[in-house]
Amino acid sequence: AIQSSRFSCVGFPLAYIFLACKKKSMALKLKSSDNKIFEVEELVAVQSETIKSLVEDGCANNVIPLPNVDSKTLELVLDWCKNHVDVKLDEEKLKEYEDKFIEVDLAVLYDLLMAANYLNIKDLLNRASQKVADMLKGKKPEQIRETFNIVNDFSPEEEEEIRKENLWAFEE
Amino acid sequence: MLYLLISCVSFSFIFLSKSFTHKPLPSWEAEMKLLSPWFWGELSTFLVSWFKKSRPAISFFQVPVFFIPLKNMGHSSKVENVEEKDDVSLLDLPDLALDCILERLSPAGLCSMAAVCSSLRDRCSSDHLWKKHKEHKWDRVICDAAYREWKMRVVSRKRPILLDQSKRKGLFNSLFGDWPSSWFRPKLESSGKSRRSLPVDSIKAWYQSLESGKLWFPSQVYNRENGNVGFMLSCYDAELSYDSKTDTFQARYLPHGRRTTEDNIQWERLRAPPVETPPNVLHVSDCLDDLKPGDHIEIQWRKAREFPYGWWYGIIGHLEACDRNNIHCHCHYSGEKIILDSLVVIKVFFFFFFFFFVFVLQRLYVY
Repeated sequence: AIQSSRFSCVGFPLAYIFLACKKKSMALKLKSSDNKIFEVEELVAVQSETIKSLVEDGCANNVIPLPNVDSKTLELVLDWCKNHVDVKLDEEKLKEYEDKFIEVDLAVLYDLLMAANYLNIKDLLNRASQKVADMLKGKKPEQIRETFNIVNDFSPEEEEEIRKENLWAFEE
Repeated sequence: MLYLLISCVSFSFIFLSKSFTHKPLPSWEAEMKLLSPWFWGELSTFLVSWFKKSRPAISFFQVPVFFIPLKNMGHSSKVENVEEKDDVSLLDLPDLALDCILERLSPAGLCSMAAVCSSLRDRCSSDHLWKKHKEHKWDRVICDAAYREWKMRVVSRKRPILLDQSKRKGLFNSLFGDWPSSWFRPKLESSGKSRRSLPVDSIKAWYQSLESGKLWFPSQVYNRENGNVGFMLSCYDAELSYDSKTDTFQARYLPHGRRTTEDNIQWERLRAPPVETPPNVLHVSDCLDDLKPGDHIEIQWRKAREFPYGWWYGIIGHLEACDRNNIHCHCHYSGEKIILDSLVVIKVFFFFFFFFFVFVLQRLYVY
């Protein structure tokens, strides 16, 4: 009986320390381009393949710098990740969340696309791309240039050639 | 920058000396003041030449000078970034993200994008974007062989022109020697331009010529004489052209030895030829010995030697003597010829016409 109580005396603090360490290792620190530090659970962060490979290589002990993502975007991205941790989440609710999440203006959408690309988060990249594709849908070339800030570098002859080439698609 | 430093120093010196003006000037200072324009000019040129001679000194002296602009630069670039953010362009996105967007566009969407600017035109013509659309819309009615043949044809059609051009050039050179050929440059430029336009054998070009109805492609049409009961289970080879306005096809074929056309053919009546046998060639099947009751088959059939074959669908039936019990059935061991079941239509045909018929076929093509 004495032995077992002695064991529990030693065991409890040990287990506590062990658990505390474990809990500590589960949190990752991410640093945005404007030097803000975000503390997130590993499970949330490793949805980014980029961070996941860093963690797997053991390079995630200190703060992980993300020089290509600013704090505003990173906050959004991490919110997305948090909501995608639980795979068993109600599909309808998740869709509802995604639709609401992606209702942002174009500048933010670009930031999200770049961040998703850099952090390699496939479902976010796909959803953001889909949003842009939906915005492009049914738009004429001139409208696309205006909305997405693209300069027309065709000569009038080239433009005519392309118009003829794509006539079948524009007729509808 | 160096001058800046120097002028700063001289400015502070003048400032200092000005603060002393209310006092009577000591003689050395007055001298200095008189001297100053000449003196500082001389000193600055001396310093410049000295700095130029000794490079390490420059780097040493430049460090503090550099510091100020760096801060300024950082600040100004930040401001620019904020400004740029508002008009960031779709083209600034990384390749993967841009591709991800383009992959989600319909054929019409890709065409609109191709008309936006030249870099998007190149991107939107790439085969990997069109492959999916080709497979989705066309691959069930056109076989791969037809696509390959078209590809070879357009490339070879392009080649004689190129050969012709090089020949002409050769002739030109032999006549006029190796002259600097500046006066036929417009031609070269125009050929350069055509290189920039859509490659003739790209999947987009294939898709485009199908959609526009310019291309007649080989395919098979079910149910010849649409609705005629006698032909319900038939399938004929034809050349087809698509009409995007009505979303139907027109067929050209040779049912009775003379060219006939059929209009308004719906998508459901088309299929890609399952075997690459041309309509006037007998298909050789290697699975006749394995046929057993219940197998789905197709038979090649033609009215006369000069006509093309058509395909007729059927299911292998049991022999008359068989009790049709799958366990006891020995039909496929009997060595007798196949009996067609379920195909009254075909039986009628066999009765009424005594044609060249051939059986052969491929099993397991469900109608």
